[in-house]
Amino acid sequence: MFELLNSHYNYFAVMLLLGIGLYMLIESQNLVKKVIGMNIFQTGIFLFFITLAFRAGGNPPIIKEGGGPYVSPLPHVLILTAIVVGVSLTAVALALIIRIYTEYGTLDEDKLKQLYYD
Amino acid sequence: MSSDERTGLYVESTIIMTTVRVVSPFVLTFALFVMFHGANSPGGGFQGGVIAGSVVMMLAFAYGIDAARDWLDVRVVAALASGGVLTFAAIGLGTMLLGGNFLEYHLYEQFISHVVAYAIELVELAIGGIVASVAIGLFFLLAAGFGHAVDSPEDES
Amino acid sequence: MTLSLIEGVLLVFVLCCAIGAAVLRDVLASLMAFAAYSLGISIIWVMLEAPDVGLTEAAVGAGIMTILFILALANTVRPQENGLFESISVPTVVLVGAFVVVMIATVPSLPAVGADGAANPVVSGEVTQYYIDNAYADTEVKNGVTAVLAAYRGFDTLGEAVVVFSAGVAALTVLRQEVFA
Repeated sequence: MFELLNSHYNYFAVMLLLGIGLYMLIESQNLVKKVIGMNIFQTGIFLFFITLAFRAGGNPPIIKEGGGPYVSPLPHVLILTAIVVGVSLTAVALALIIRIYTEYGTLDEDKLKQLYYD
Repeated sequence: MSSDERTGLYVESTIIMTTVRVVSPFVLTFALFVMFHGANSPGGGFQGGVIAGSVVMMLAFAYGIDAARDWLDVRVVAALASGGVLTFAAIGLGTMLLGGNFLEYHLYEQFISHVVAYAIELVELAIGGIVASVAIGLFFLLAAGFGHAVDSPEDES
Repeated sequence: MTLSLIEGVLLVFVLCCAIGAAVLRDVLASLMAFAAYSLGISIIWVMLEAPDVGLTEAAVGAGIMTILFILALANTVRPQENGLFESISVPTVVLVGAFVVVMIATVPSLPAVGADGAANPVVSGEVTQYYIDNAYADTEVKNGVTAVLAAYRGFDTLGEAVVVFSAGVAALTVLRQEVFA
């Protein structure tokens, strides 16, 4: 087990981050904290992609004479765009949260459920 | 009521105002460097755009969100966002008009030499414009909140 | 590749910040933990030789995202409740723990961190090799990430730029504002 931790450490961190993000998504009563949890879940997946792209002793993919070996640029591009899409998503979620607050006057999940079904 | 009064975010501070006044030109220069130099070093449109957007946010924190909103021309922000999308789409679809695939830059080679590098630079600038203006826009939108009408310059006349 | 001290410290820091964001009761405190988490993870990107991603994460995650969250908090309510930490719900912890255990069961089949050659098909695959070999000849751009972003996967990037644009329009609609700034 310790050997596995020593060679696959980043993947353990990925799975734990996914767990923490999922916990926040399920358990947090406050909607803003749910959005923070969603972001942590996202970042866990980013860590998985970037770890797969990494090679020991590799250089950043800036091509020059005798510069190799390089890490893979493709996952970097996917994650780069995913981060920017993530912030757009967060902004729309926050706009919706502001709207919900002005309509219902609370951000607590249970109170919102009550108000909605009444 | 203005968004500064409602949210109570703004505190006038000489130290912050002076620091921002000194730092912001350098931050904007760095943003442009990251945007233009994305071809040969880490960086590019996304990163440069976000840094450029943060200049406006810095100014808004130092001088108040309403003062920054008055100072900023809405038409510039809207033009950067929609102009960026249109530029990117035009470069991509232009190669299809010339009978190639989407974004097949080499087809522009008949007009300008070394066009590929320039076209990629232009695409990066377009992305930078979109990201910067949307970041600025989202900042002011979330600061204004729901339904509080913001006076647009056209309404005042 | 074995775990180096600095990477171990960074991973522990990031995990502690994430747990802090989850259990702190005050939303603003949780948000500050998340900002520290973003900064820590942007250093991890640099350690993993992804400077482009690190630059983006530092500017977006620790910068813009935190500002947007603070503005949303300023426009809503920050509940004043007693106690520093939230109470932990045992059923949820058991559920999430089971999820994590199932996910960790897949870890031994993944390539080791930093694996090379046939062990890690992402790094040694044909696609990566093609991009690295031909990027400069095809696009006259030295940065492989920019070459893939703006040329090889340009259609993707156009869609993504449109997503950012639509997010701005969506926020305008949701908040019933008419001007962008």
